[in-house]
Amino acid sequence: MTSPDHGHHGTAAGKVDQFESVFRAATKTRFEYSAVQVESVLVVSDRDERAAAAFGERVRSQFGVLKRGENIRWRVVHGGEYHSVPALLDIVETERPGLICTYRHLHSDSWQWPYTLGEYIDVLSQVTTTPIIVLPHPDVQPEGAVRGTKVVMAMTDHLVGDHMLVNWAARFTDEDGRLVLSNVEDDAVLKRFIEAVGKIPSIDTDNARVTIQDRLERDARDFMESCSEEIIRAELPISVESVVTHGHHLTEYSRLVEEHEADLLVMHTKDEDQLAMHGLAYPLAIEVRSVPLLLL
Amino acid sequence: MLAIFVPQAADHIVPEVSVGITLFFTGILVALIVSLALEEKLHAKKSLIVGLYAVVTLLLGAILLPLPYSPYLIGGHELSMPVYIPAIDWGVITIIFGASLFVDVTSRSGLFTWIAIRLTKASGGDPVRLLWLYGIMTVVFSAVLNNVTAMIIVGSLTAVSLNKLERNDKLLGFLLVEGLLTNVGGLLTLISSVPNIIVGTAANISFMAFFYRASLFVLVATIATILLGAKRFDIVGLRDEDARTEAQSLVVSFDENDGIESQGFFWFASAMLVLFIVAIATTSVMPYVSDLGMGFVAMAFAAVMLIKYKGEVDQFYRGVDWDLLGFFAALFVVINVMEHAQVLALIGQGVERIVDLGPTLGTGAVMVATAAFSSVTDNIPLAAMLAKIIADMPLADGMVRPPSDPLWWAVIFGANLGGNITPIGSASTLVAVTIIHKHGLRLSFGGFVRKALPFALMQIAIAALYLLWAL
Repeated sequence: MTSPDHGHHGTAAGKVDQFESVFRAATKTRFEYSAVQVESVLVVSDRDERAAAAFGERVRSQFGVLKRGENIRWRVVHGGEYHSVPALLDIVETERPGLICTYRHLHSDSWQWPYTLGEYIDVLSQVTTTPIIVLPHPDVQPEGAVRGTKVVMAMTDHLVGDHMLVNWAARFTDEDGRLVLSNVEDDAVLKRFIEAVGKIPSIDTDNARVTIQDRLERDARDFMESCSEEIIRAELPISVESVVTHGHHLTEYSRLVEEHEADLLVMHTKDEDQLAMHGLAYPLAIEVRSVPLLLL
Repeated sequence: MLAIFVPQAADHIVPEVSVGITLFFTGILVALIVSLALEEKLHAKKSLIVGLYAVVTLLLGAILLPLPYSPYLIGGHELSMPVYIPAIDWGVITIIFGASLFVDVTSRSGLFTWIAIRLTKASGGDPVRLLWLYGIMTVVFSAVLNNVTAMIIVGSLTAVSLNKLERNDKLLGFLLVEGLLTNVGGLLTLISSVPNIIVGTAANISFMAFFYRASLFVLVATIATILLGAKRFDIVGLRDEDARTEAQSLVVSFDENDGIESQGFFWFASAMLVLFIVAIATTSVMPYVSDLGMGFVAMAFAAVMLIKYKGEVDQFYRGVDWDLLGFFAALFVVINVMEHAQVLALIGQGVERIVDLGPTLGTGAVMVATAAFSSVTDNIPLAAMLAKIIADMPLADGMVRPPSDPLWWAVIFGANLGGNITPIGSASTLVAVTIIHKHGLRLSFGGFVRKALPFALMQIAIAALYLLWAL
């Protein structure tokens, strides 16, 4: 029945907002699968030609998954071919690879002190748009058979809509392997907002804490579900697992890597302002030293 | 539409009142109408505005008028109560209270959003199909729920879906057409709008008779409004196959089940909604229930729905539009005093002159005048006054006006459709403008009138033809 209440729009505006929220929540972002093509790989080592070639072979074995359906052009760069960051960038510019494989602290002994990735990777990861695989330093790499990529973990604090991250992670997952999609909400960020909410009388703080967290995690789960559906539809020979959680970023990611025994971590490193490596990626890349990283 | 326990004798007292006093109270009534029209400028809720007028008119009425004080004779018993209690039409108040509570709880089931999203997906993202489906949904929701809730649901979905489809340039056209259709949908049933309830009850029109008489007009006016809307706002279908595929992929991402927290409650609410419509439609013919009235039915259904939230019903009580209910209660008190001050009889003389223009011209003129007044002021006091006046205007042969009398319908059509001429003409068009402004689109009062007037004139013209030749 009509309630022609001319002064009613104050309440009505609130209800409009309420229903818009319901409809926005119903608008799901679905994963869009697109096959990642890697046509050429540039393996960068700081060792002599022979050792570099051995490292190249090891990389090929480790990432046997790259053979799937493609003829890849491999090029190994040894330590004698460059002695500065600009020289390495020139090589990358000339080769224009689809992927760079290397390890931290090129031409440096400071790999023993786990506080940086070394100037080469710091610059490479920001200057080039080419994805980079950072392997453990050859001096600490365990001997024996390579593990392959049976368990690949895509890591982010905001997976919804990140088609690129999932597509690359799926591309690097071995046949019959597991792709673990992880979304870890940072408690510190949420806590800051809830503290602000706690000072606003018109918002129920306890309700806000629960509903915001629930919404964030629900959106991530919905997107992961669509990832699983699309990967099945694309007939990729891999399985998909979802992990949605919250906590201290670094602690939680380290725990997940250990728990899932990941063979490769995939993450974004490009900061929007291109000032440095993406906030989360850098400490994680430093913390996790024994597992290969794919930096996008 | 008189209160169920207003004593017959008291209500039909024709007190001795001087012309001066009648004119004095007429001035108060005019001041009330002007105050309501200036509500936005006064920054005051209408319940307070009318409440203050009720206090003043009651006090002046007590001093200057022979008001019918208690005891009141009800069912053979003498009861004592303050004079302003029987002045209120509790039947109308309980229908509004019960129905709004019922709709509020039912909407928590996700049913209305489920329907809205299913229709969005059925459109395939094609703008013209979307306009038709949203237009029809607006009319049905306005008829079944209320026009403000209908506008809120459909309007908010329109904003979200057009944004998703990257068709924000069509938002203003969609919202305007939907706003104008809420008042068309408000004509579909006896309980679809307050003027319908007030006039329909006074005229003794049953639910089914109302639906039977109004439905053809609603159908024709809906089709005409959507066609005109598509033409004036350049809303065309997707001709390109790629565009159709892309639009389809965008709307398919809507998940209609997202808002459903419990499948069991969803189906229960669906069943209860159907039962509610059936119960309201058959109230007048159901034994025992017909004696209790539609207000009882509405409140009974609200009570059953609240069982689901038995531990937190207070949140729904907080959501009730107390301003609206307070406004109605105070308004009935003011009108009751005006009746005893012979103000309604005075206005009735003016209405009688219009009616005397003849069955065609007179009836048409009443509808146009009602629409014109409704466009600038509240249609509820107008409908309440006209219902009382027409009820006291017997036919030439002295018989009571039958429910089919065109004069009743002239007031019903005029009061509803008049709301489409200006943005303040009805709450639902005001909600449409609120959504338009919320999304950064500019639409002034004049701009609204320029865009809406062709639609309103077309609808009033269809109503006039329908009233004079089809009813």
